[in-house]
Amino acid sequence: MIGNLIREVRFLTKDSGALFWLALAFFLSVIAVSFGVAEVRDQRKTIGTLIEEDAADRANALEGQEDWGGAAYYAFHLTHAPPSDFAFAAMGQRDSSPWKHRVRMLALEGQIHEADTRNADFGLIGRFDFAFLAASVAPLLLILLLYDLRAAERSARRHDLLVATAGSPAQLWLPRALVRVVALSALLLIPLWGASIIVGTSPDIVFKATVILVGALLIWWLIVELVSRINASPSVLLTSLIGLWLALAIVVPALSTAAIEARQPLPNGGEILLLQRETVNDAWDLPKEATMTPFLKEHPEWSDHATLETAFEWKWYYAFQQVGDQKTAPLVEQYRSARLARDREAGLASFLSPTSFVERSFEKLAGTDAASMIAYENAVRDFHKQLRAFHYPYLFPDEPYDSEKLKDLPRFEP
Amino acid sequence: MSMIIRIAKEEWRLWLRSKVIVVAALIVVALLAVTSVLTINRVADEQSQRLAQQVEAEKTFFAQPDRHPHRMVHFGHYAFRPPPPLAAFEPGVDAVTGQSIFLEGHRQNTAMFADTKAAADLGGFAALTPASLYQLLLPLLLIVLGHALFLRERESGTLAVILAQGQSGVTLAMGKAAALLAVILIFMIPLILVATYSVSLGESGLGAFSIVGGYFMYLCVWGAIVLAASIILKQRAVSLGVLIFVWLFAALIVPRFAINASSAAIDAPGKIESDLVMLAEQRKLGDGHNAADPAFQRLQAEVLEQYDVETIEELPINWRGVVASYSEAELTKLLNSYAENRMSLEASQSRMFDLFGLASPTIAIGSLSRTFAGTDLATHHRFLRESEKLRFDFVQSLNEVHANELSYADDMNRNADAEASRRASVNSEAWQVLDEFRFAPDAAGERIGRATLSLAVLVAWLLASISIVFLAARKVRL
Repeated sequence: MIGNLIREVRFLTKDSGALFWLALAFFLSVIAVSFGVAEVRDQRKTIGTLIEEDAADRANALEGQEDWGGAAYYAFHLTHAPPSDFAFAAMGQRDSSPWKHRVRMLALEGQIHEADTRNADFGLIGRFDFAFLAASVAPLLLILLLYDLRAAERSARRHDLLVATAGSPAQLWLPRALVRVVALSALLLIPLWGASIIVGTSPDIVFKATVILVGALLIWWLIVELVSRINASPSVLLTSLIGLWLALAIVVPALSTAAIEARQPLPNGGEILLLQRETVNDAWDLPKEATMTPFLKEHPEWSDHATLETAFEWKWYYAFQQVGDQKTAPLVEQYRSARLARDREAGLASFLSPTSFVERSFEKLAGTDAASMIAYENAVRDFHKQLRAFHYPYLFPDEPYDSEKLKDLPRFEP
Repeated sequence: MSMIIRIAKEEWRLWLRSKVIVVAALIVVALLAVTSVLTINRVADEQSQRLAQQVEAEKTFFAQPDRHPHRMVHFGHYAFRPPPPLAAFEPGVDAVTGQSIFLEGHRQNTAMFADTKAAADLGGFAALTPASLYQLLLPLLLIVLGHALFLRERESGTLAVILAQGQSGVTLAMGKAAALLAVILIFMIPLILVATYSVSLGESGLGAFSIVGGYFMYLCVWGAIVLAASIILKQRAVSLGVLIFVWLFAALIVPRFAINASSAAIDAPGKIESDLVMLAEQRKLGDGHNAADPAFQRLQAEVLEQYDVETIEELPINWRGVVASYSEAELTKLLNSYAENRMSLEASQSRMFDLFGLASPTIAIGSLSRTFAGTDLATHHRFLRESEKLRFDFVQSLNEVHANELSYADDMNRNADAEASRRASVNSEAWQVLDEFRFAPDAAGERIGRATLSLAVLVAWLLASISIVFLAARKVRL
């Protein structure tokens, strides 16, 4: 076996076509990984600047405030989801979902759907990241490396002779293909490993990524192997393989997406906003009980401090902000659970397409999948709850304003 | 001429006999048909839905009861962007940007609820549109059909016979080109149907015709590349391999690489980032809610002098309304300068991306088709600008109502009791100041003008690839 492998390595070094595909794989991997690392660095830098500027802006806004209500109204708080140490390999949803917000104590539903995303063309076309390379391009390169192992020998009329002299076909084709699959995997993975060492990705994640990539290539190898047993010309084989690639990489995911989205309709997001805005705006004209009753149902602890004396009081203002959120909560929950359901079904559907499976798995490892983005949104919701929990004990009992106490304002910890 | 047609006919006879080719073509036809029908229905739904939402939003605004005009400034309004007729073929950035935007005083919001944010995530190509099939799949079909177009004659030895009969390589190449051209023309039919349908929805003939023309050119570029490879290369498998590589490079690698490169080369700060910079400046302008802010002292002196009175209480107009209007105008100037800066950075990123069209015709046709269809980034930017104008107009009209129809004394006293706050409201007829907003695609001529760069790149590709075919065909020897 070793002898066979050494022989095949020697053959490979003389096959200029194969060497070209392998070199291309390495080159593309270096490009994908280095752009990824640069992008992650850029996003970290942006977050660093934002944290500083946000603190300065808040300090400035709080200066000269005279009551708790005003302080809460003018102080914005940055929330953000930093890229993980594997995000360089799969930017995933970070290009289409927001990963930073500035929120304040007003109704959260009016703020959390703000989308601070980049140039729309980026989200439309997508990045050339390692996940895309591994999921979509690597299988094509593998096909180009393997499709004519047999057929080329057939065209050269050596096939039958080779098979006859090799003893068993396994000794001939297996080492030949194995050398190519190993070379392709290694050349794709080396830049990934290098970058992981530089950015300090945990070995556990790198190991998983390696297993996923190698596993996917093995599946594609199996597909190529089965197809190329057909006794046909190299060009017919390549055509059929490209057709299979198209089916698995493009058609199946597109059909699954369409089916999933039809099965799991999303409530119209605009309705959430509309309902929230109307609740908040109508509250001004409604009797104050219409706000305070539903509010106190959620927060009975403030019942003793909820009597309102003047036409405008901050506690009433923040109460109807919260009621706006309370009223939209069922719709918001529906929206979120539909997104989660879509993601769950997409996870199942990805078993039908190695391409989708690889891309999703990488996004999961990198924390850039839909579930992670939803988890970030949940973290923002929790933080907003903390903001309310901080302010209500000052607002409702009419505690005298003390700017010193604002030093303990909750901070967002990603 | 008759020779060319005979060669083309012979090619078609062979194609129709090949199971692989017939199956491949049928699959592409089926995909095109299904995708077109699905996209047309989806876009038609969205079109009517958003129009209805726009009308509904206006109705809601008009139906608001008597109240303080500034409350209406915060009540706000919505602008919706319905997809243009050609979105049925090329939905473009619509899915990424979000199509509705909330408009209110003192703020410029972003468009919200983009489809992609809530889409089922199955990787890079998950959404198929008729346009992406034309951009990605049809070139592959042309490759499968044509990679051995010329080579076949060489392999079977008929090339020698044909050349010996006195036919030139160019004639033979033209016959093959005619065969491929017929394929391209047949595959233009679905696009022509969709384009005709879009005309029935109000698209101009010029717009529909130019998108058809653009794709025809694009497919001809691929046809010429395929033909050139089959003339120059000597082995079927090599020709197919090289062409697949060209496709992989042009359709998958370069566009995404171009995105990486233009995002790395031109840094367009996000909204939060530029907002924070702006906020520092904004604080200098003062807070429009607080008429006693020192930043308004100068304004106050001017207005008092204009009306020749001593105190703001004596003014015939409501001082708070004046302040609201003044600070909204100043703030908007600032907001717009930051928004314009952000948009121009994004536009230069997109221009840089378009230049990568020189390395990939797929980029050129993609930009061309989004621009012709009116679903490009520039149209989204125009939507942002127009909705901003809508926002500013209704906010300022309300501020005018605030200044002219509500007395300062009532206004200052508005929180005293229920009766006082009733007095500090204006009749709801004033809400009619809101303009009707119907976002429409711009004129076809303008869209075509915007696509000049991509169009020039595509024409360059066409000329270059056809020249290569001619040069290669003239040199054909045995």
